[in-house]
Amino acid sequence: MRYLLLSTFLLLLAFCAHAQTRVVVKGRMVDTTNAALPFTTVMLLTPKDSALVSYARADEKGAFEFKNVKRGTYLLKTSYTGYLPFQKEFTPGEAAVTDLGELTMKPISKELFEVVVKTAKAPLNIRGDTIEYNASSFKVPPGSTVEDLLRRLPGFQIEQDGSIRAQGQEVKRVTVDGKNFFGGDPKTATKNLGAETIDKIQVYNSKSEQSKATGIDDGKKEKTVNLALKEEYKRGGFGKIKAGVGTDERIDVRGNYNKFDDKQQFAVVGFGNNINQSGMSWDDRQDFYGSSAYRWDETDFGFGGGLTGSDGGGDGVIIQGGNVIIMNGGGGDRGFNNSYAGGLNYNYETKKKKFSSNYYYNQRRNWIDQVSKRQSILADNEFETNTTSNEYTKNDNHRVQLRYEDNLDSLNTLILIANGTINNQTYTQGKQEENLRSGGRLTSQTTQDNRNTSQTINFSGSALYRHKFKQKGRSFAASATFNLNNGDADGLQKSDNEFFVPAETGALPPRQLNLLTDNTNRQNQIRTSLFYVQPVTKRIAWESFYNFGVRQDKVDRNVYDQQEGNRRNDTLSRYYTNQVMHNRLGTGFRYNYKGLNIGAGLAGIQMNISGRFATDQNASQFMNVDRSYTVVVPGVNMNIDLKNNRYLYMDYSGSVQQPSVRDLQPIIDYSNPLYITQGNPDLKPTVSHNAYAGFQYFNPSSFTRFFGNINYSYNVNQVVYSQTIDSLLITRTKPINLTGGQNYGTYLNVGFPLKKNKANIGLNTSINFGRSYTLINEIQNRTNSNRYNWGLNLDLTPSENFTFYGNANWSYNLVKYSINTGQNQNIWNSSYSGQMNVKGPWSMYFNATFNYNIYKNDRFGLDQNIPILNMAVYKLLGKSKKSEIRLSAYDVFRRNLGINQGASGNFFTQTQVQTITRYFMLSYTYNMRGIKANLRNNGGF
Amino acid sequence: MKKKVIQTLILLVTTLSLVQAQDIEGVVNYERKTYWTKLIAKLPFLSQEEKDRAKMMWGNDDEEKTKLKLVFTPAQSVYTYESEQGETDDGRWSWRQDDYLVQRDFDKEIITEWHEMGGKTYLIQDSLKIPKWKILNQLKDVAGHVCMKAEMEDPANQQKIVAWFADDLPVSAGPERLFGLPGIILELDYNDGVTVVTATKIDLKKVEPKQLVLPKMKGKKINLAERDRIIKEHIKDSIKAQRNPYWGIKPWN
Repeated sequence: MRYLLLSTFLLLLAFCAHAQTRVVVKGRMVDTTNAALPFTTVMLLTPKDSALVSYARADEKGAFEFKNVKRGTYLLKTSYTGYLPFQKEFTPGEAAVTDLGELTMKPISKELFEVVVKTAKAPLNIRGDTIEYNASSFKVPPGSTVEDLLRRLPGFQIEQDGSIRAQGQEVKRVTVDGKNFFGGDPKTATKNLGAETIDKIQVYNSKSEQSKATGIDDGKKEKTVNLALKEEYKRGGFGKIKAGVGTDERIDVRGNYNKFDDKQQFAVVGFGNNINQSGMSWDDRQDFYGSSAYRWDETDFGFGGGLTGSDGGGDGVIIQGGNVIIMNGGGGDRGFNNSYAGGLNYNYETKKKKFSSNYYYNQRRNWIDQVSKRQSILADNEFETNTTSNEYTKNDNHRVQLRYEDNLDSLNTLILIANGTINNQTYTQGKQEENLRSGGRLTSQTTQDNRNTSQTINFSGSALYRHKFKQKGRSFAASATFNLNNGDADGLQKSDNEFFVPAETGALPPRQLNLLTDNTNRQNQIRTSLFYVQPVTKRIAWESFYNFGVRQDKVDRNVYDQQEGNRRNDTLSRYYTNQVMHNRLGTGFRYNYKGLNIGAGLAGIQMNISGRFATDQNASQFMNVDRSYTVVVPGVNMNIDLKNNRYLYMDYSGSVQQPSVRDLQPIIDYSNPLYITQGNPDLKPTVSHNAYAGFQYFNPSSFTRFFGNINYSYNVNQVVYSQTIDSLLITRTKPINLTGGQNYGTYLNVGFPLKKNKANIGLNTSINFGRSYTLINEIQNRTNSNRYNWGLNLDLTPSENFTFYGNANWSYNLVKYSINTGQNQNIWNSSYSGQMNVKGPWSMYFNATFNYNIYKNDRFGLDQNIPILNMAVYKLLGKSKKSEIRLSAYDVFRRNLGINQGASGNFFTQTQVQTITRYFMLSYTYNMRGIKANLRNNGGF
Repeated sequence: MKKKVIQTLILLVTTLSLVQAQDIEGVVNYERKTYWTKLIAKLPFLSQEEKDRAKMMWGNDDEEKTKLKLVFTPAQSVYTYESEQGETDDGRWSWRQDDYLVQRDFDKEIITEWHEMGGKTYLIQDSLKIPKWKILNQLKDVAGHVCMKAEMEDPANQQKIVAWFADDLPVSAGPERLFGLPGIILELDYNDGVTVVTATKIDLKKVEPKQLVLPKMKGKKINLAERDRIIKEHIKDSIKAQRNPYWGIKPWN
């Protein structure tokens, strides 16, 4: 059929042209011994661009013939396995037949053919007299020099003195990327350069130095070897640095440096600022961690919950005035922050082995001045708590992460992970709080002064092993994790409490408290997990998992009363040890076929919590808690890959969470006299049921998208804190189990272009109905929170010089309390925001973002409008645009108030934190890879 | 002496394969690998910093593999997926393959291509048009055959396509949308290694008629010129919107 095609093509040509313009071209292919080369492929190309005009195949005698060839100049090229392609340029003469005669093809040297082409599978380039092949195809041990590499290459010989011979001739020159290397002595290049830097080795005959100098070709040719470097070795490292100073002594300095190639990645990062940016930006984070930025190793196989790492049962958590302060987090970027951080990261990756390591240090000092108002709803009335507090927290954090993965062979993988952190924290808090009855009658007042210093050391190590069996789909995985957590904390709690109404019942709490706390806790945890998959049919697999975990805590808390000469307070002091044991066994089936993936299974979870506690470790009598639970939860999920970028998914699962150890201890803690907590040894684990279903669609050519989902959750034996509030407005809380808390909602999002590449619009809406229960003064309250949300976004990208991104969001929240309907609230929050980018002349750019937030609450008469405008003007400098100078203004209207409001359970809170307001900053950025001003938000890649 | 033996051997092997060349037919299995970070590096709207970032994070783990097969006879060729579903190595997850089939009828000089692109399935029918190949001076071994390098510029996708063809298998068939060389195409390289299609197995044997039976193909009917226009437009729009065009249209569409 090939001939048919060809002849049709030629026949067609023949019709349009005169017969005289056509010639017959023939010849005969032979080798160097004049033997015929049968069936050689013969091609006719145009000489200027090697375009294929026609091709034919020689007969068994090596003879070929092209009929009806249009007159012109051609390049005849022939190919025969094991021979160097032959080429010859020719122009047919006047005669009707052009006979090219015998054309001789040279064999490729045996070495080149066998070693380069057949064994190393490297492409062989023939460029006139240059033969070039890919050096990376030849395996040499890491750390080898180019000399070691050359030894392996066919046609090369390395003499005793290091001189090189290529194809028998001495190599006079070695160039690197065409340039002489260190004065031109061939040995310096080959002895010093690493083999891994070389991409290609080219050998050719160049004119001698003399003929180059004189311009007269003396006919002498020198063997020259050129080493072409791999792309990544042409570049060194790269990095960027930014420094900015502003009004109000605002400072922002940050920088990073990276160097990477196919195997190794190295990064340094560092920053310091007082503009509330205590973490790395998303991009900086990716540059720092490199290939390990998104690595996640699942070590607990299966589903059903119950194997949480820690539950806050004394580890790294201190209770202060009823607030729970988690030592490693907390604070956020509220208030004022001074942050410093620096780190090093090194990754090494090959197909077989992967290693990543990093060290990161960060320090943050945080100041918070906060005013908050809290409305608590009771059965027949309500009360208000007004708090003014100032807090200072200093966190010093060191972290080391190591990970090693070894793909032992195609069937076995081993992963080892070790992480360690040390955190030092200093915390001080001054707080004034007053409780008012409805009508503004002052009931109690407290002034507190709390100080705390603590150190937490955490270490965790995991080993993960995966094995694939020869049978396809059959696999096994095992993991073991060890976790150690040590915390030491010293605290001072002072409070002065005043009550303005007589106590109805019980004794008046102490007027003054002055407590010294010394808290030590040790926790260790071991978890193991097994997973096994057995294919049943081609489409169905049976999966099973088993998890075992044991956690031991030891907490020694000594509280001394400073008012009574540091006498030990036996009510508040405690010593306890406890052990939590988990067993989880589950099994299920998975079906997958052509984008329909279904999984269904059951998990049985057994938990045992046992503990001993007393006021002191030497106590004669210990109290015991011993609880066992067994729960069975299902798990079902389904994913359907419909045609044309449409996906449908559904998921339902149950999960179990154990009660925290602190909640289980029947100990009364009155270290905050207005908020007294008590544990409950009768707590049962919480089982939550979660279901969701969603659909998504994206049209990549019209850029239309649609996304929608519905979700539902229901809690059985949820741990909630019952509250008893007495006439003095002292709150006593106790954890209890309540069933019935639930949440359901839906979310829809649609986006499409109004005008392609000029204007896009997006609409979204969500509706959420939540129901939660609490027990207040022995009466069950049900809080219904119905939230409706609408959003609109508009992207305008009319030209390369102007873009605008607008956003509007409206939300309405109706909160209803069953015990006191008079307190029902309507909360309106709206926000409008816009971002504008303009490109001006002389590489000048302007950027402005505006956020306008409106908070309304009819119950409290709240109506607050907060406009925040940020602006920046910047200019890219230099031809290569590697640096940028920027003048920015933050919160131009000085309106940043740090407002937060929310309703949950039986209360509504509103807090206001003093935070950074207007400042101006001048900054300079230098980026070794150049800076790109981005007017458009990236569409993702 | 040894040299002579090897040469004779090469000669013998080549001659043997050429003896059957008259009506050579069979099945070639290919593996198509796409490297997303190489593709990202080609996007004009990204800065060097963004390209380096992508390479650093995903460079060692960005390979997307698909297995396809070419069934050919002197009269026609059919190229499509090896199996009807894609799945992870451990088989725990599967997905639907895009609609993709390329059929060439050399006798009638007709092509039929079934492509899913831009979220829509098209059925392209047109007359056979030979790509404009350039023949280059490079040799390489692919699946045991010494191949010669040829190159073309894909006008619609605006990408360079390199083909390695084996002239000891003298059929002008090839994988994907490419053909028309003096030997069968055993390797394709789109856009400097963004996507590489390599023959993994060559099985020369008589093709059963049922191997050439086409599945039921539904889609919007267009011709080659319309296809080129759709692709060009999509790429232009996507680049302008700073969006990777290859989420919608693949290098091989």
